[in-house]
Amino acid sequence: MTIKYLFQISIGLYVIAGFSAVILSKWHKISNTASNILCMAASVFGIAASIDQLISAQGPVILWKINSSIPLMNFTMTVDNVSSFFILMLSILVFPVSLYSIGYLSHYYGKRNVGLFNTLYSVFILSMILVFTASNTIFFFIAWEIMSVVSYFLVVFESEVEENRRAGTLYIIMTHLGAALMLIGFMIMYSFTNSFALNSDSALIPEFYRNIIFLLLVIGFGTKAGVVPLHIWLPYAHPAAPSNVSALMSGIMIKTAVYGILRFIMIYLGVQNTWWGILILVIGISSALIGVVYAFVENNIKKLLAFSSIENIGIIFIGLGICFIAISTKNETVAALALLASLFHAFNHTIFKGSLFLGAGSIHFSTHTKDMDQLGGLIKKIPIAALFILGGSLSISALVPFNGFIGEWLILQSIFAGIQPGNAGINILFILTVTALALAGALAAGTFIKFFGITFLGLPRSSHASEAQPIPMVMNAASGMLVLLCLVIGIFPAPFIQLISHAAFEITGVSVAVNFKGSFLLTAFPLSVSGNVISPFSSLIIFLLSILAVLLIIRFIGGKYAEKKYGTWDCGFEGLNSRMQYTATGFSKPVKIVFRMLFRPSRDLKITGDDTYHPESMEYIMTTESIFEKYIYDPVLKFTERSSGVIRRKLQTGSIHLYLIYMFAAILAAMLYNRLF
Amino acid sequence: MENYLNLLSHLMLLSSFVLMANKRIRSYIKTFRMQSALIGTTAALIGFESFSSSGRMDVLVVSTVIIALKVIYIPNLLGSTLENIDLKVEKDFFLNIPILVLISCGIVVFSYFSISAVEGINTGIMNVQIVNSISMILMGILFMISRKNAIGQIVGFLVIENGLFVTAMFSTEGMPFIIDMGIFIDIITAVLIMGVMVFKINEKFESADTNKLKNLRG
Amino acid sequence: MAELFYVLLQIGIFVLISPLVSGVIKKVKAMTQKRKGAPVLQLYFDLTKLLKKQAVISDKASWIFKASPYVVFSTAIAASLLIPVTTFVVPGRFSGDIIMLVYLLALGRFFMTLSGLDTGSTFGGMGSSREVMISSLMEPSILVSVFTMGLIAKSTSVYDIMEMMQSGNVSLTHPVFIMIFLALLIITLAETSRIPVDDPATHLELTMVHEAMILEYSGRHLALMELGASIKQLVFITLIVNIFLPHDQLITYTGAMGIILSIAIYILKVVGFSVLMALAEVSTVKFRLFSVPNLAALSFMLSFLGFLQYFVFGR
Repeated sequence: MTIKYLFQISIGLYVIAGFSAVILSKWHKISNTASNILCMAASVFGIAASIDQLISAQGPVILWKINSSIPLMNFTMTVDNVSSFFILMLSILVFPVSLYSIGYLSHYYGKRNVGLFNTLYSVFILSMILVFTASNTIFFFIAWEIMSVVSYFLVVFESEVEENRRAGTLYIIMTHLGAALMLIGFMIMYSFTNSFALNSDSALIPEFYRNIIFLLLVIGFGTKAGVVPLHIWLPYAHPAAPSNVSALMSGIMIKTAVYGILRFIMIYLGVQNTWWGILILVIGISSALIGVVYAFVENNIKKLLAFSSIENIGIIFIGLGICFIAISTKNETVAALALLASLFHAFNHTIFKGSLFLGAGSIHFSTHTKDMDQLGGLIKKIPIAALFILGGSLSISALVPFNGFIGEWLILQSIFAGIQPGNAGINILFILTVTALALAGALAAGTFIKFFGITFLGLPRSSHASEAQPIPMVMNAASGMLVLLCLVIGIFPAPFIQLISHAAFEITGVSVAVNFKGSFLLTAFPLSVSGNVISPFSSLIIFLLSILAVLLIIRFIGGKYAEKKYGTWDCGFEGLNSRMQYTATGFSKPVKIVFRMLFRPSRDLKITGDDTYHPESMEYIMTTESIFEKYIYDPVLKFTERSSGVIRRKLQTGSIHLYLIYMFAAILAAMLYNRLF
Repeated sequence: MENYLNLLSHLMLLSSFVLMANKRIRSYIKTFRMQSALIGTTAALIGFESFSSSGRMDVLVVSTVIIALKVIYIPNLLGSTLENIDLKVEKDFFLNIPILVLISCGIVVFSYFSISAVEGINTGIMNVQIVNSISMILMGILFMISRKNAIGQIVGFLVIENGLFVTAMFSTEGMPFIIDMGIFIDIITAVLIMGVMVFKINEKFESADTNKLKNLRG
Repeated sequence: MAELFYVLLQIGIFVLISPLVSGVIKKVKAMTQKRKGAPVLQLYFDLTKLLKKQAVISDKASWIFKASPYVVFSTAIAASLLIPVTTFVVPGRFSGDIIMLVYLLALGRFFMTLSGLDTGSTFGGMGSSREVMISSLMEPSILVSVFTMGLIAKSTSVYDIMEMMQSGNVSLTHPVFIMIFLALLIITLAETSRIPVDDPATHLELTMVHEAMILEYSGRHLALMELGASIKQLVFITLIVNIFLPHDQLITYTGAMGIILSIAIYILKVVGFSVLMALAEVSTVKFRLFSVPNLAALSFMLSFLGFLQYFVFGR
């Protein structure tokens, strides 16, 4: 019973936060602080409630039930373990993001309607909670649409920038395209089961329609998740939003798609065909690879993070794909392990991508630019933010001892367990997945070396960077607590994995052997999966001990530490300047050349003056094209434009009366249909 | 009880016919006021019934809101908008009035033809109220199609809404309170916006003829 | 206690032997060029000398620059613990597997490339950029190779893989092992900045990769970077010689005698392999930077074919 109250208090507090933002909106600072503190309080209740629900063995909890006399309009909010896992992710992210907003939104004071922003923010969070708790498809769809529309408003919040409006338009079009397909899927479900409820009997749906529903839902949810090739909106929309919203969008909103796939495909439809899993796995592989390659060459810090989200959602899909394949080949242990790995990676991604987006927001707050080629040397200006972004970068690059590594390790272990003699095709696919994961992991590390190295190290490349403003303490604290959580999960993964395994257990019904054992120093807290063991904790201890030992040894051999400051080697020129160091573009050039089929780079060198060797001025322009936009979306767009031109001339004449006649004819036709068929 | 409801429903249909046969804009508004009053009475009847049988208050509240909104507020609003417009009588129709009335009769027949196949709404005997209210919706659209004046359009829209409301009321014995209230808020905004628009259109084109909106097409 | 002994033994051997490998390689290279060359123990002298010297730090550098040598060194140490030099000392419940090895080394590389960018020099960024490209392209073949070995042994722990190879249940000349061996050889050359990929002996800006990143280091920091790099090199060599040339099954002694004998044979194998590497190095030329993807592809194909041999075409 208490779980129910905790959830209700949390939701109630979000509602109050939304209203208080509007009511107090005249006093920007008070309204901002009040509503964000309320959101933080709400998220604390959300965390408590969802953890409580996960560890208690009880079944689904019904939060609210709205009955009405209209058929099909009974709305029920139900929380089971899967829902509470997603609410847990959401709440864990909302707490620091709200804390961050208190500082971050201060640059809107007096310029923009902060109250409106915070109301939208609360509604956005609430709509995601509704998505996670809706217990029939109609309710789910309504919540989904609220989420899409509110996030659209948040994306275009800084609407005076042309780029943001374009990003918003692209986003709303893509997301509605996906939603439309999803709705068709729901309608097909209804037409066979005569019920919108999620516990209706899916066995009534024939095999063929099941496949159709699967495809529709994968495309529909895939659009929200931003998987390749449906990703084109994501790298525009996520950077356009204010950074606290970007953190929520990348951290949790794209995972509503994962929730949808779990809820509607795995739990409701059930996995029967192996090709379902193969499709998901292939989508995952291509998203992971293409996402990370685009991230690597990107110079805009927030776009880079957005592309990296595509990569990570790809890794989550890889886990889901393995799970699907394992279910269809009746390999329950592997399925459970893969699902657990996938959910764990989703959980981790929420945390580290949240912290990185908050960090990127801090950089923007401090320097007013997102272009890496304008930055550099920030580690001396904003050292605390630098430290936390370094932590986030290490974590997302899957390096020991952060949580990203544990997620990748679990996915690799599930593939390891999944490769079994026989079934050659699937084995080949699995080893190719390993390849993709390895390449994506290494390139992700490279991406974040670039992100951190170019932005924070070296010399400032412009006045933006050299005149960086200090960052409010709350903003640093917010990203800091997420990074700390990354580290804690990385060192002591077992309790977190067990928490998540409650959610995975509800879906697969098999609990995997993930246990923590051992007690003394070197074996403390290892993680063991079917006999394979790692212990990040002991590695960390070895780390620290070896640093300590080496310091002592050096002291013994080399004596007291002495250092001399001197300029960097400047090749004998007079003084080093920032134009001599590698730029972000230059850093990613080798990879760009290696993957040139994805970019089709073209270069243009303009030399003015007669002498090639002593030109008056030189201009070097390097352009790349996005093959997805050019070869998939542009043709579709052109076709739509052409055909809509025809429709506009012939049917859309502008006369209200003609439109009314269309409506009239449509109603008459519907009534006739009703009578005759 | 059933007889009273049937009577009221017929009267409402009749008011739609009256509207259709009218060409003075001020009497459009009067007819709409009358039709709304009939609906308010119907809602009050159903409200008393449900209050006495199950103690539900909400339909009664809805009926007061209808009277306040549709009988008093909106017609007054439209009336004051009309003050600013020169044109008081509708002139050239797309179809002349006798043909429109004949088409309206056809609509009633068609509604009967169509509704008689719907299961679940009526048990055994045909529910004449539903037929009447569906006809009201369709006639509202027809009214909008046939009138060029902007106030006529608004009245047509409101008649469609009246029809929808009555349909819902007759088929469910009172919808959930929250939905009714939502619809009312919807209408009031729509009418306010349209009122302003009419004023602007009149100002811009020096007439409230919606057919001239064609020129807005890019 | 067994774990503590294992840890001390591993760290001791890796720290003490690893500079020898570089020495042997340099000596053999000099001999093939009819030079006398530096003494085999030269790197030991260099390291002690460097530790005593004053460090010169760029005034543009941040704390990352000073922290990196320690991180690089200690990740190499932590990685060395995952590859037992002998199966006579059981790692016990010391935990870590071959996947962790790959990601541990990546941590060291992460900091090394950052330190290249930290001083704002022209060369550091160049080295970092190239290192990122090369290591990214090599990563798939590393993981597929170790994965395949792990799949054959049904465990991702190196100790289990070594035991499997010693057990006699598998034929050491099976094509899968030859292919994975060749793949790992290419990986070792690339990861340890050896000749077809990088030239450890040059400081020419057109070619250097690893040297470019550590160009600004001096004193104790340089010593740690060098030692870390040579431990990493020994990690790869140990992985190859202990997996593909198992020797512990030949020793009939047990107890301390067995351990000593096993380690002696291990050192002989390492020295032998170093000679082989040196010979491989002198008989090839350095590749153009953008030919490195071809090398990576070759190594990936070898490991992938190895996998196919074993798991798809049957044993």
